[in-house]
Amino acid sequence: MAEMLKLGLVLMLVALAAAVALGLVNSRTAPIIAEQKEMEKQNAMRMVAGSLSPGDSLAFDSLAVRGLPNPYASADNVLEVVKVYSPPDTSRVGYLFIAYGKGYSSTIQTMVAVDTSGEVSGSTILYQQETPGLGANVEDPSKLIHSFSGMEARGILLSKDGGGIDAMTGCTITSRAVTNSVREGLEAMEEAGLFHRGPDVPASDVDTTTEVEEQHPCDSEEGSVDAGTPDVTEGGAE
Amino acid sequence: MSLVRDLTNGIYRENPVFKLALGMCPFLAVTTSVENAIGMGAAATFVLICSNFLVSLFRNLIPSKVRIPCYIVIIATFVTLVDMVMNAYLPDLHRSLGIFIPLIVVNCIILGRAEGFANRHPVLNSLADAVGMGVGFTLAMIILASFRELLGNGTWLNINVLGPSYQNQPLLIAILAPGAFILLGFILGFFNILEKRRGGGGQ
Repeated sequence: MAEMLKLGLVLMLVALAAAVALGLVNSRTAPIIAEQKEMEKQNAMRMVAGSLSPGDSLAFDSLAVRGLPNPYASADNVLEVVKVYSPPDTSRVGYLFIAYGKGYSSTIQTMVAVDTSGEVSGSTILYQQETPGLGANVEDPSKLIHSFSGMEARGILLSKDGGGIDAMTGCTITSRAVTNSVREGLEAMEEAGLFHRGPDVPASDVDTTTEVEEQHPCDSEEGSVDAGTPDVTEGGAE
Repeated sequence: MSLVRDLTNGIYRENPVFKLALGMCPFLAVTTSVENAIGMGAAATFVLICSNFLVSLFRNLIPSKVRIPCYIVIIATFVTLVDMVMNAYLPDLHRSLGIFIPLIVVNCIILGRAEGFANRHPVLNSLADAVGMGVGFTLAMIILASFRELLGNGTWLNINVLGPSYQNQPLLIAILAPGAFILLGFILGFFNILEKRRGGGGQ
């Protein structure tokens, strides 16, 4: 009995010391981590939006478009879209949105900048946990995402699916996930009537839904594991 | 003295990967690039040093009946600390190492050294052992990662070595899991030949 108490006490002390140490470090690092996440997102927004209107200082406004899955939002099927404009002038120069695509081993988040006519001007990968050396190469700005620039929704499809985008060699699943999620995002925005084709359309259009979204999907950090087949199928020629 | 011996022990004579075959899970998983190998090695070495130090320091205080749970708590604490600190101050490295950091908890090198060395050796020797084992683990990972990154991606430490013509058609299998096993087999074979030669020469 006495021995059992002693053993329990020793274990408790060890665990207590561990808990205190963890609590201290966590209180130190948690705000830095949160700040870093936010900054990363802000940087990505500025970088991608810069392709819309280089040189201008830009401002952002949130709006929500229905009809697209966002695995991280609590509300169902809302695509978060950010309106971009250069401050003195409130007419929009374009939009930003985050596309979520389920890749080989993670849900890949792609931030896309698109102009008012529906043409992609730039994109960057915000989050991915794909196979290092293979799928993880989607982060390379000169590879897959580079070929989205200047394309409209209907062109953004892998060439082996009948579109004009070449998949990265050895990672068709990753390439397809990113490509399809970007296209679906653009299609949802088009359906919501955010794009206009004519060159001389004034900024008088009214959004279907212009509620300001508070939640940022980037805050949740979770890669779901996809039990799919290995993405080693040979991709298109590069 | 024996301190030097303890230090060099892990680097070659009892290399945790090539000789003791410990820690295979992270070893095979993160060696897709040299950068990952170095990061994982550094994190594992840090945890190993801290856990060996504490285990050795308290080796007479911790009753042997509850030693394993105590070691696990100690190791898990340091792993979580590494995870949080890395996430805050080295976000890029944290992104690429991802899920492998929590896996250090079950890295049997660390529990193995706590149980097999630190709990019956003085603090200084345990520290020397931890450094040696950590360096040995890191070097082993760098060796395998060099082959895999070079063959599978045409680069070494993100520096383009083999040129774009190779990168368009690289030996993809080297970077995938089967390639890790195959290359590990070759490396182990090489070390065994070396050992035999050496043994034959001495006799």
